[in-house]
Amino acid sequence: MDWKQLWEILSAADNVPIIAMIPLLAFYMYLAWKQAHANDVLIEQLAGDAALAKTHHRKAWPFKPGWAKEVHVWPFLLRVEFLAAIIVTIILMIWSITLNAPLEEPANPNLTMNPAKAPWYFLGLQEMLVYFDPWIAGVVMPTLIIVGLMVIPYIDTNPLGAGYYTWKQRKFAIGTFLFGFIILWVSMIFIGTFIRGPGWQWFWPGQTWDHNRLIYEVNKDLPDIFGITSNWGKGIFGAAVVGGFFAFGGLLVHAFFRRHNAKDYKRMSLLQYSIMMTFFLTMIALPIKILLRLLFHIKYVWITPWFNV
Amino acid sequence: MKTKNSIALWSLTASLGLFLLAGCGKKEEQPAATPVASAPAAAPATPIDPATAASISGTVKFEGEAPKAAKIDMSQDPACKGTNIAENVMASGGHLGNVFVYVKEGLGSRTFDVPKDAITLDQSGCKYHPHVLGVVANQTIKIVNSDQTTHNIHPTPKDNREWNESQPPSAAPLEKTFAREEIMLPVKCNQHPWMRMFVNVTKSPFFAVTGTDGKFEIKGLPPGDYTIAFIHEKLGEQDVKVTLVAKDTKTVDATFKP
Amino acid sequence: MPEKPIPENDPVVSKSLAPHYLISMVILMATFFWAMWDEDFGQRPWKAFQHEWKDRYSTFLKNARSQSGDAQKEVESSPDYQKLKQDYEAASQNATPRIKEINEKLHDLSAQILAVQTVFTDRRAYVNALTYSIETETSASSKQSKLKDLASYKQEKTSVTMPDGKKQDFDFDHLEETYNDLKNERTQLSAELGDLIKPVNEKKQLMDSYLSDHMVNLTPSQLTNLQNGVDAWTPKIRQINVNEHTADLVREDSANIVDRCESCHMGIREPVKLTAASMSAKGKKPDEYARAFTSHPEPDLLKIHDPDKFGCAPCHQGNGRATTSVAKAHGNYEHWLWPLFSPGNYESGCQICHSADMVVVSNDIGWTLTEGKDLFRQRGCMGCHRYEGYDKEPEDLLSIAQQIKQLDQEKRDNFKQAGDLMKQADKAENNDEANRLNDRAVALKVTNSKLDLRIVQLDRSTKSLLQDTKKVGPNLKDIRLKLNKNWIPVWLKKPSDFRATTKMPNFRLNDDQIKAISAFLWQSALLDPLPKRNPGNAAHGKELFESRGCLACHSIGEGDQLQGGTFAANLTRVGEKDNYDYLVRWVHNARERTRPYCPLEKKDIGPEDYKKKGLPYVFDLDHSKCPNDGHELQVQNMTVMPSLRLSSEDAQDVASYLVTLKKQQPSSYPDAPFMDDPNLKAEGKKWVRHFGCAGCHEISGLEDEGRIGTELTTEGSKPIERLDFALLTEVAARGGSEPITDPDDRSRLPEGPAQKPWYDQKGFFEHKLAEPNIWDKGKEKIETEKLRMPNLHLSREQVRALTTFLLGSQENPLPPNYQYRPLDYRRDVQEGWWIVKKYNCMGCHQLIPGQKTSLMAMARYQDAQEQLPPKLLTEGSRVDPEWLLRFLKNPALNDKDNNRNGVRSYLQVRMPTFSFSENELGKLVRFFQALSRQPFPYIPEEVPVLTTKETEMARSLFSSTAAPCLKCHATGDPAHDRFATAPNFLQARGRLKPDWMERWIIDPQAIAPGTSMPSGLFKRQNGHWVFSGPTPASFQGYDKDQTKLLVDYILQLTPEEQRRVSAAMGRSSASTGSSPTGAKSSGNAGRGAP
Repeated sequence: MDWKQLWEILSAADNVPIIAMIPLLAFYMYLAWKQAHANDVLIEQLAGDAALAKTHHRKAWPFKPGWAKEVHVWPFLLRVEFLAAIIVTIILMIWSITLNAPLEEPANPNLTMNPAKAPWYFLGLQEMLVYFDPWIAGVVMPTLIIVGLMVIPYIDTNPLGAGYYTWKQRKFAIGTFLFGFIILWVSMIFIGTFIRGPGWQWFWPGQTWDHNRLIYEVNKDLPDIFGITSNWGKGIFGAAVVGGFFAFGGLLVHAFFRRHNAKDYKRMSLLQYSIMMTFFLTMIALPIKILLRLLFHIKYVWITPWFNV
Repeated sequence: MKTKNSIALWSLTASLGLFLLAGCGKKEEQPAATPVASAPAAAPATPIDPATAASISGTVKFEGEAPKAAKIDMSQDPACKGTNIAENVMASGGHLGNVFVYVKEGLGSRTFDVPKDAITLDQSGCKYHPHVLGVVANQTIKIVNSDQTTHNIHPTPKDNREWNESQPPSAAPLEKTFAREEIMLPVKCNQHPWMRMFVNVTKSPFFAVTGTDGKFEIKGLPPGDYTIAFIHEKLGEQDVKVTLVAKDTKTVDATFKP
Repeated sequence: MPEKPIPENDPVVSKSLAPHYLISMVILMATFFWAMWDEDFGQRPWKAFQHEWKDRYSTFLKNARSQSGDAQKEVESSPDYQKLKQDYEAASQNATPRIKEINEKLHDLSAQILAVQTVFTDRRAYVNALTYSIETETSASSKQSKLKDLASYKQEKTSVTMPDGKKQDFDFDHLEETYNDLKNERTQLSAELGDLIKPVNEKKQLMDSYLSDHMVNLTPSQLTNLQNGVDAWTPKIRQINVNEHTADLVREDSANIVDRCESCHMGIREPVKLTAASMSAKGKKPDEYARAFTSHPEPDLLKIHDPDKFGCAPCHQGNGRATTSVAKAHGNYEHWLWPLFSPGNYESGCQICHSADMVVVSNDIGWTLTEGKDLFRQRGCMGCHRYEGYDKEPEDLLSIAQQIKQLDQEKRDNFKQAGDLMKQADKAENNDEANRLNDRAVALKVTNSKLDLRIVQLDRSTKSLLQDTKKVGPNLKDIRLKLNKNWIPVWLKKPSDFRATTKMPNFRLNDDQIKAISAFLWQSALLDPLPKRNPGNAAHGKELFESRGCLACHSIGEGDQLQGGTFAANLTRVGEKDNYDYLVRWVHNARERTRPYCPLEKKDIGPEDYKKKGLPYVFDLDHSKCPNDGHELQVQNMTVMPSLRLSSEDAQDVASYLVTLKKQQPSSYPDAPFMDDPNLKAEGKKWVRHFGCAGCHEISGLEDEGRIGTELTTEGSKPIERLDFALLTEVAARGGSEPITDPDDRSRLPEGPAQKPWYDQKGFFEHKLAEPNIWDKGKEKIETEKLRMPNLHLSREQVRALTTFLLGSQENPLPPNYQYRPLDYRRDVQEGWWIVKKYNCMGCHQLIPGQKTSLMAMARYQDAQEQLPPKLLTEGSRVDPEWLLRFLKNPALNDKDNNRNGVRSYLQVRMPTFSFSENELGKLVRFFQALSRQPFPYIPEEVPVLTTKETEMARSLFSSTAAPCLKCHATGDPAHDRFATAPNFLQARGRLKPDWMERWIIDPQAIAPGTSMPSGLFKRQNGHWVFSGPTPASFQGYDKDQTKLLVDYILQLTPEEQRRVSAAMGRSSASTGSSPTGAKSSGNAGRGAP
């Protein structure tokens, strides 16, 4: 166990944010869950008690009869926000005093650093380069993410759960978000920061980042495994596999959705639904590809002259 | 990484320090007094109480067959009419001359005044008189040429500055000093290759040169433990340890073999 | 989670946030102040240094002042100073009354001037304005009227109140007049005042300058000025910005230096000597501050490299701009590529600019860097590693061949073009055209003949270069003739076992490799027979060996017995390996080659080739053309070992002595039959090539092998990632336990076993040099992939030296106008040192005051220093370059009898014949001239012919008992020369420069310290040099320099004259009797009583 190595990575000024992010994430998950749970209890209670539901509108726990139905933003919200602002300022100031910008030597085009890492917030994307070709990982995926985030308001037809924590009322939305954020974003950044060493090789935390390390690892393309050689063949095969994934995956998700999320399903138009499906499946596809790569050393599934998946 | 953390830590503590001792005072320590530019001034000579002063005397013997003094061929310079005998081993009747005897150790940090009176080194008959000379550092040596020929005096020291000056007959005497301690410092005359003598520069005035009878005496030593060194240009050095109490007169002998 | 009781009132509304606000505001303010503090001090640690500096430095100055005060009193008490003082006082007293008077006058005057001025200037202004309007007036009439106005205005009177209260009336002209008169008077008076004060001030200056001249340290007043400077100092960044005045910071020629080092190192340029001890708190160890405040240890270097131009970082490296922490400023953090050179390697900085100087500073003694340069050369590093400037003859040969090709081409083109031109000329319309064309044709022809001559020149330099090409190791083509066959494998096993101080490094060969290599070498060597030599007289050989100067380069004896030079091999066991016959040839003339080598055909030319052409089998520097194709041959052994011009008998004697030097019998070496096994040859050749043996040795078949190592010219600026620490990378980066385990190799590490991280260039070089195969540690490699660099068994100091050298070997970041690329005499000096070091001239001669030669240390010279080779401190100004050229060609200065010293016949030690090439002869002569800044070429001055009277006088002086020149100087008469310890006067003409001679006889000790020639022969008497002894009567009324007279006389001395004089001196006549002693002492003349 190479503690020095570990400490050097953890204490790197560049990594402070991601280090801070992990406990914060845990904490807010807990907080959110706690509140959501409380609210869900309350919501049931209200549903059960019509009179109370009439008098009481505040969908936040706890409550007591006689409390104001609603409170003013000023001062009751702003004073809290301002406090928060102050605390954040303090943190930022201390941070900026104690840690100088991690500047390095003048860039030398003949001698690139190894490992050469992006800023922490892009490490997720950089990590994706391992699993997809640059065009997909660097252009398509980010675009999809942004577009996906943009369409959410249009495909989210669920009127409930706005302005208060809840789980019961928005299982699907929250679940999907957590999946995307934690699995596809945070964990990827985590890997890129702590796991990837010289030569972008996989080092477990506490393993020495040895620049001379040599490992034997061959990644094959899925078509090769099936002994498909011709380019056309590869293209068609890959298309089929991917298409297959979308078809079968689509059916599965559809079945699941209709059973457990009937309300939303009903509310949704075909367009909304299909868009949702596409993005959802693409999102699912990501970890699947990653697992294929990491566990079964499969490089690409779909190989075309223009892009590889 | 390290440096960044250290900076962080350091300036954190520093800030604390700022709050605690705001406007802290100056350092109480005074910077060193001795600028290296100036050499340490010599301490005043410690007075030696003549009442307690002790003295050493003795004889230097020469064991074995006294070598026959080699003859020098002075013919190359008619002006040289000296006794034509080399002086490097002067042993007669078992006594050894031209041995330099001095207090090598035991005087500690004592310093001594430089004798005012100059010591004369005479060149006559194309020989140096004396052949072995002792001086205190910085004591003036007066070099006289009583020959009717030119000599040049050429000391070849190890720790002093080398020089080489000619002295025509009946020229004014040269006055020279040697600043640093050096034993058996050879002096020669390039024009008369046989002309050689040795100057011994010591810190203390406690030295002597044995005469042909091998006798020497050192007076006025304060009580203490000393190492007495006997040095001969050819036969090398011998050290003897003696302890002197007040007023005693010890006899220290040495014996050289060829 | 536990259900909390629900409060009565809605917390969102009722709960007070005051405490939260309070606390966070407090913290916010705290952080704010912290930020302030950090901005002011945290990020500016140098401020602390400057405060500390003010305290300590003022204390230092206080003490210094008190001491220098005493010193000043001492000086002031000296009569000279007193006299100056009196002069000054007298002068000032004389001057004062008049000065007083004038000052009063001036005072009144200025009052009057003031009075007049106010009125005058006002009126003048009006007049000028009016005049202008007249000038610009167009209509004549109004011009007229205005002119009238002007005249009338000038007539108007105004009254001026003089200082004494009187009123006076002036019209304009009168007023102007008065005003000017007053002013003139004032100027006159002030001029007079100046004249009065001047002499007084001069006297004062005399006093002050006397004071400062006669005080070792600074005077109190100077110190006070320093103190004022310190008091006035307010903390600020002290920066050297070289580009301050250049508009654009990235100009081509801008060094882009911004160094703030002096913000902490305040004492660096102070005019007093500050040491860590003197700057540290009393009774305390020197702390960080004390170390920072020391003054620069080598102020002279700063004089040459003005910090205001060069800054600090160009020499010392480190991050000159950084001010936030010591580590940052010194560049000791991972992202700064040029960290400060560590104390052991300071001199690396010099190498960056002075890579072309073998001797970095003119009075350089014991410089680490210089030692590094020498080592790199003497240990044959450049045999494997290219390094700009080292061993460059082969490259030059190539480039010259190229040039010749080009010139040939050019010639052909010119010839053709000339032809065309002439044809055109013949058909030209008119004569002018024809002539023009013909002229051009002619011009081209002339050009061609120039080219021809240029080519001839190039051919000659080719010859020179072939002659200059040397190898560090011996010629292995000769091993069959030279070596004890069975000794070779033993030697290859580990050379240092046989000869501890050898240059031959240890290649870590395994037994198979050794077998193969020795077999190949043995079988590829030449077979020509050597003439059988009769055994000589070993005893005499020993005497010769010790007296002729062999030990200037070679050493003998082992351990503390070792004496002699380290430049060449230690011969303690040479008897075990060498054949007698070969040794004889070698000692007689090491350059004598078995077979000439033709670089073009790449083969050794033998008698058969000569026979084919019907030529005699003769090859030497005069017969160096290849019989087959007439190209230059390599006719000498590529060794720097010169010929001592020993007679062949002497050579036999020396050789016979050498073969007696052995610890065991040559026959005792185990028999090595595999040496003749032909199957091993190919294998052997492979390994020989693999290990790059041909880099240092001549090996047949491998003459043109390239270098096998990396180029090191800019190794120091290699990024650390490019230096392969292999498996030790992490160890080095973390300063883990020292990987070198072998105790010997460990002891080579300058800093000892690693304590702190050593993942940097320094660490790499030091470890590599200490144990060259260290990076193979833990690696699994096949033989051919293992690191090849051999172990040079260097000492700790040598490793340090070489590391210093390599660290400094960087691409020079400075613009050309900063780099040291002299084109004047300094260039000659640069080039000269390369040759001086190449042939180890400094083994015998002292070229730098204080430099020790190998001979000086030897016992035999302790009592006979006049027997040492001459010191060459002023050679350039001493001898005529023409002569020097002749002498260097053949130091015997005699074609018939070579077995002698040309100049100092009385010396046992021999100036050998190096058979320098034309190229090197030229460089050497220019070098010596340049060292003493002599004009080149040298035009000898006319020596006036002496009148008989003058000759008479000169002779009487020359032979007077008071100046017995001939006592020591040789005359050529053997009886006399027995005691000679100085050259013959007859050689002065054509050799010595008269003005040097004069300087020499006045004070030889100042030119060659420790020479037998005494000083004080002449003294200065009313503006002339006169003999200090009793001058002969004839000199009555002679008022010229007697030194000059003597010099002229010596320059005109004829053998007869000399004989007459020496006879007259009645010398050596008597001595004929005592020949036995004489004969004996002739060996060691002047060695004192026999």
